[in-house]
Amino acid sequence: MSASTMKNLTCIGIAGLVALSTAAAQTTAIMNGEVHTITGAVIENGDVIIRDGRIAQVGADLTAPAGATVIDASGKVVMPGIFAPISTIGLEEIGSDAEANDAGPKSGEGFPLSAALNAVDAYNPSSVLIPINRAGGVTRAVSAPEAGDKLFAGRAAIIDMTGGVNSVMKPDAAQVVMMGYSGARRSGDTRMGSWATIREYLDEARSYAANPNDYVRRTREDRFALSDLKALQPVVDGTQPLMVFINDANDILNLIRFKNAYRLRVIIVGGSEAWRVGPELQAANIPVILDPMFNLPAQFEDLGATLENAARLHEAGVKIAFYNPQGFGAYNLRLLTQHAGNAVAAGLPYEAALAALTINSAEMYDLQSQLGSLEPGKIADVVIWDGDPLELTTEPEVVFINGVRQDLNNRQVMLRERYRDLSRGDLPHAYRGGE
Amino acid sequence: MKKLGTMALAALILGACSQQGGDESAADDAASAPAADAKSADGDGGVVQPPLDPYPSTYEPYAAGAVLITGATVLTGTGERIDDGAILLQDGKIAAVGAAGAVIAPEGITTIDAQGKWVTPGVVDIHSHLGDYPSPSTDSTSDGNEVTSPNTAHVWAEHSVWPQDAGFTRALAAGVTSLQVLPGSANLFGGRSVILKNVPSRTVQGMKFPDAAYGLKMACGENPKRVYGDRGGPGTRMGNFAGYRAAWIEAAAYRKKWDDYATKYEKWAASDDDEEKEKDAPEAPGRDLKLETLAGALAGDIKINMHCYRADEMVQVIDMSREFGYKVSTFHHAIEAYKVADYLAENGICAAMWADWWGFKLEAYDTVRENAALVHAQPDSCAIIHSDSDIGIQRLNQEAAKAMGSGRRIGIDVTPKDAIVWITANPAKAMGIDDQTGTLESGKMADVVIWNGNPFSVYARAEQVFIDGALLYDRDDPSRSPRMDFEIGQLENDYTGGAGQ
Repeated sequence: MSASTMKNLTCIGIAGLVALSTAAAQTTAIMNGEVHTITGAVIENGDVIIRDGRIAQVGADLTAPAGATVIDASGKVVMPGIFAPISTIGLEEIGSDAEANDAGPKSGEGFPLSAALNAVDAYNPSSVLIPINRAGGVTRAVSAPEAGDKLFAGRAAIIDMTGGVNSVMKPDAAQVVMMGYSGARRSGDTRMGSWATIREYLDEARSYAANPNDYVRRTREDRFALSDLKALQPVVDGTQPLMVFINDANDILNLIRFKNAYRLRVIIVGGSEAWRVGPELQAANIPVILDPMFNLPAQFEDLGATLENAARLHEAGVKIAFYNPQGFGAYNLRLLTQHAGNAVAAGLPYEAALAALTINSAEMYDLQSQLGSLEPGKIADVVIWDGDPLELTTEPEVVFINGVRQDLNNRQVMLRERYRDLSRGDLPHAYRGGE
Repeated sequence: MKKLGTMALAALILGACSQQGGDESAADDAASAPAADAKSADGDGGVVQPPLDPYPSTYEPYAAGAVLITGATVLTGTGERIDDGAILLQDGKIAAVGAAGAVIAPEGITTIDAQGKWVTPGVVDIHSHLGDYPSPSTDSTSDGNEVTSPNTAHVWAEHSVWPQDAGFTRALAAGVTSLQVLPGSANLFGGRSVILKNVPSRTVQGMKFPDAAYGLKMACGENPKRVYGDRGGPGTRMGNFAGYRAAWIEAAAYRKKWDDYATKYEKWAASDDDEEKEKDAPEAPGRDLKLETLAGALAGDIKINMHCYRADEMVQVIDMSREFGYKVSTFHHAIEAYKVADYLAENGICAAMWADWWGFKLEAYDTVRENAALVHAQPDSCAIIHSDSDIGIQRLNQEAAKAMGSGRRIGIDVTPKDAIVWITANPAKAMGIDDQTGTLESGKMADVVIWNGNPFSVYARAEQVFIDGALLYDRDDPSRSPRMDFEIGQLENDYTGGAGQ
């Protein structure tokens, strides 16, 4: 077991303890909902019992435990919380405001480090984006850095959407790298440059791993920062997924060869032409995080972009999840359900779309034993929707994270309340609606 | 006299008159003034007018047989919903709309059984950059923002529109039948917009909405000061306002110069005094493209599209419009419209909004999902949902649905028959084309969408799109699905691109 895996386990342990302490002795029974467990069949009149932060029971005709808080979910939809597989949540408050955006080194400034950057160092659990998106049913998210001038962006963390001080669930969950046109732009404006560079990075990282003392003492070209090479260790040993921004089908075929040669774990982000190499991706066991609303030849690498990308990849047996590329969608992770609905309209089976919002993300980051479905023993991230979660006019009524019912109030709700009445009033608007 | 002069200038600045029409009206003036006739015979061409419409629309509707669409849920765009409704399209126009039994169609015409389907006016996007920021997006094609000076009122968006932008086809497949293409927002004055019918053409002229007035793009707040802060200014919001005001003062003077010239010319042409007639005709002022556009905006012939996020800035702009005697048509990206929805309604200004985009800059931090519904809830309001995006334009119906749903949750009475207005009639009104499109009413252009279900559902898709009665998109018929030149023959011919891609 590698050191990083050890650390991950420790972290999950801590998160579990936190959940236990806050959710201790809390028992909730959600009764008579349309329960989408994701991994099993839909239960029409289903019940979900939550105890001590975990899902205790799921089924039909269950009995609410004595002392449990009972929620009548009849006419409602119960499903796991949305797990956003990539975002800049907690790193980016205001996109264009340098002071309020820690998502990555600003491009053009030549900042020397890349893979070593770590989302947990900047993650701000007090971001107003968190409660706003939590109210949209998002309970977990990957908080990932954005690349500056170099290929690698750094290490992503998995967080829960409680906004609490202990809300980082899994640091070092993945490394992020830009390939395709985004990589070429950072490598002499040619794809040859980006492949040569990424190979060199990994070769150096391996060389360092083989004999760290010797590597440090040895005279070498000072091409890469040592801290970047150290950060790449879990990538080269195949334990940490490498999230690769890439779109073009031919680039993806190169990525498959590269992955096999270096024995990496890879997750594709973007993948606008991934459907063209669906069988190859399936064989290589590479999942794809995509935007199912993207259908334009925006760049030459996107000529094959189509609304049917999700449906075709699913058909080919490729695991998919969704993202909203607008700033990785940190502001509107709550719209992932709309993205999923559009994928369904373009042919993706409904249950596959729900899986793409939940269990698939969990599996991409090895958290399927903890998250992503309604099964006994899993962390109780549960959302009760007032209708079809993929529809445009539905909303979550109740959100549980770690078994704890969440406050759905947020800054946007407060602003709305403040300005619903535009009359002059007894006092200015600044005295209203802030509660 | 003065007044007539103003009207003449108004006519010449209004893009609505064709070149030919302008000449005819000049001839009419001459005919009513015999003295001027004599002058004309001596080689005087009449009062000098800048070309009224130098790049005129050549759009012609495509052939369209009569079509009866019956059995559908019809949202008229006038705030009405007709269950089991029918609509008759004839000669490119809407001939009748009503209950299925009440619309009488001629024998033997094409009838579409639209039971279970919904019919709406063609979608109108008031804020697009299609053609100016086309796909593919490269340095070569990036033509949407003349970031060279804070005042580029002299540039015209149509001169950047690449009619081969695949985005037009995707928007068509989403039911968009008319759109306004605006210059970008880097500048205080970004330039003229162009209003297009979403019908593919070899030329932008072939897409131009016939007789539509021009728009002028202006921008508040962060963008101009960010772009010009270290390039000579403006570097602050007060600098922005100083820049607008200086330009309006100059434009008013320019307008007066042309008005004075027209007055002087008419006096000279109508003069019976021999001595006066011997003099040369008064000389026309020199043209200035920038001021021509601004003077047209002051005259009310060019509609002002003001990119403005913050509530306090919108109200300052309203004051500025009073100072210089012009009217703002629409605040675009009006993130904080809900904070001043009363001001907007009282001043008859539309707010064009996103359903839920926010946060990408500080002036976009304060949105609420009920923004459009709160604007809508004011009496005599004008709420618009816009896209500003080649992806967003493909689901304006979904954006309206989200905004509608959020409004309903806080008790605002808004249903599909109302929310459809946000993406049809209201943008058409703000763009000045509402007498021709934007609603399903007899006599209007037959710009009509058949949806395969309630367009306020995420699962609904535009199935057939008619523009001026011609079926230009059919989800089930590849021969009715346009493909742009750029997309043809790509990817070893495997891939065909096209509207429904």
